Amino acid sequence: MDPTFPAIADGVDHPLDPRYVPLQRLRAFIGSAVLGLASFAGMVALWVQTGRLLAGLVLVPLWLVLFSAVAWQMRRWPAIAYRHASYRVDDLGIEIRRGVYFREVTSVPRSRVQHTDVSQGPLERRFGLGTLVIHTAGTAHSEVTVAGLDHTVAGRIRDHLLPGTKGDAV
Amino acid sequence: MLSEHRLHPASILFALAGSLKAFALPALLLFFSSLRSSPPTGADPGWGPGRWVNRWLPGNFELDNWQAWLLLLLIPATIGAIVHFMTFRIRYEGGELVIRSGLLFRNERHVPYARIQNLDATRTVMHRLFGVAEVRIETGGGSEPEARISVLHMTVFEEMRRRIFEGRARGGLAPATTADVPQALEVAEPPAESQTLLHLPVRELLLLGLLENRGLLLIAAAYGALWETGLQGWFWERVTSGLYAPGLLRDAARQLGEGQLPPLWQIGVMAGGFAGLLVVVRALSMLWAWAALYDFRLARVGDGLRAEYGLLTRVTITLPRARIQTVSLRESPLQRLVGRMSMQVETAGGAGRPEDGRKRPRERLAPIIRTIDVPALVRQVMPQADLGALDWTPVHPRAFGRAVKPMLLLSGVPSLVVLGLVGWQAWPPVAAVMAITVLLTRQQVRRLAWASNDDVVALRRGWLWRSVTITPVAKIQTVTATESPFDRRAAMAGVQVDTASGRELSQRLHIPYLARDTAQALFARLSAQAAQTTFRW
Repeated sequence: MDPTFPAIADGVDHPLDPRYVPLQRLRAFIGSAVLGLASFAGMVALWVQTGRLLAGLVLVPLWLVLFSAVAWQMRRWPAIAYRHASYRVDDLGIEIRRGVYFREVTSVPRSRVQHTDVSQGPLERRFGLGTLVIHTAGTAHSEVTVAGLDHTVAGRIRDHLLPGTKGDAV
Repeated sequence: MLSEHRLHPASILFALAGSLKAFALPALLLFFSSLRSSPPTGADPGWGPGRWVNRWLPGNFELDNWQAWLLLLLIPATIGAIVHFMTFRIRYEGGELVIRSGLLFRNERHVPYARIQNLDATRTVMHRLFGVAEVRIETGGGSEPEARISVLHMTVFEEMRRRIFEGRARGGLAPATTADVPQALEVAEPPAESQTLLHLPVRELLLLGLLENRGLLLIAAAYGALWETGLQGWFWERVTSGLYAPGLLRDAARQLGEGQLPPLWQIGVMAGGFAGLLVVVRALSMLWAWAALYDFRLARVGDGLRAEYGLLTRVTITLPRARIQTVSLRESPLQRLVGRMSMQVETAGGAGRPEDGRKRPRERLAPIIRTIDVPALVRQVMPQADLGALDWTPVHPRAFGRAVKPMLLLSGVPSLVVLGLVGWQAWPPVAAVMAITVLLTRQQVRRLAWASNDDVVALRRGWLWRSVTITPVAKIQTVTATESPFDRRAAMAGVQVDTASGRELSQRLHIPYLARDTAQALFARLSAQAAQTTFRW
């Protein structure tokens, strides 16, 4: 085993890569910018339609309050979600924990992994992150995704999960 | 050894019949609309195939151009059917079934025996006349069958079944779990013995028809057909010899609305008609059950299960036992009254998916079975599962409080709307609805229980309509522990088990309302169990 890398299957809960928070913030920023522009345009259209100056005095502050509340929530959410997400890899498989209000822990045994993908979008590439997608033969959870992993870590988890040469029917 | 088989020549006929069926509705329209004028008007239909086609038709038929085009569409279908027949070949090659077809675009498909989920044959009256069968081969992936072969001579089908199942048993693959080894060796010795597990005599089939109300569907379909063809008025006049005119119900309703009772004879006719309808519906349902499931026979052949049934259309289902993902038992209130249940299984892949818009009942291994015989049958179908040894654990004691709130909300909001619209005098039905909601929820939560041992995990649900779903741990794909905000407040959690057959909601193994410790322990236990077994499709 390469001594510079600790074993990936250590059976310990790991948080996601810390760079995932700024990445998600960037995504949230883009999202809220689009939302802000669209809702601002809608608000102005509504204001023009009423044809009164007074309506603007109500609509503009209302929009400001609502939008800043949404934007603030979107800004702080990635850090909260980050605190509630973790993964654990051991010899038997991978366990993924996530969700702030509706929490769930999913366990994918190594013997049930059909195939795995590691994908990396343009934004993820800038941050050196990757998304691991694990496919099983299941139906409700036939695809289990782990976003926000270091790209090389995602690759190593994939290599670890890849079905071995044990007698597999598929 | 190399041996090739081709389709039965009748396959051309069946392919044509198939495309005719797709044309059935337009063809009927065409038939009726071309009857309209006799003698023929002799009018020139203009440029197109109509002129040419009309020359070949009997005198009082006359086709417009578009109708003739429809007819001409059949020509490519015919050519396609002939080419398909000429080029289609089946070969058995060391552990694989090789299907070759196509003239310009050659297609050669290799299906390893080990991946075949089940092998079904359907034989309608026509198929039986020709001594052939339509064969469907299903593998694990996707919703579509891997191959649909229409039509093979029966001897060819028998050989295919023998080869595939012997090939599987010989072990084209290494046995997955230690438990599989003796089985694999056992069935490797030909010939595989056949042991009947369930045979349904006519009496049971009639009982099944009585319990399951399929008759209403048949009536609805028949009435729909009458309505479509515009014969429904004529039908009623004939059947009731004028007593029932379509306006009868309307008249009676109007009279009731005006505060008068309709004449006694009308009430009599309506009551009699209603009772008669009920009897007819049940009788039809029994007739349907008798014809559809005639001579139902479930047998164990080596390591596989084979079900055969049908009076006119004879269906044969063959599936390896190791491929069964879940077994589910169902019991309706009527079934419980006469001590019967039904059992169905799901395999991975296309099984149990609605096909052509209708649901195939093909996964029902026991449409009706005596409740006392169920444990023995389950042991035969899923050897790991011992119903008697399942240790049912109820859900959390406070689960009722959790479950009743959303139900009250669900029935309470419409109730409030009714009260708001009608006024306070509507309280008796509203109160009754609320009481029934509470009672149903209470009984359902009481019955809700789960069981887990070294081999299987099971969930029991329902009060009036009961069901038990069992999955071997070797078929678990993923395990998920869930905790909603409501769960958290009550220190509860849920566990969801995902299998390759969880398409149907009622077959999903989602265990709600567990104490948090219990859920965590169950989650850890199930994921460890799943990890230690190897999944075979």
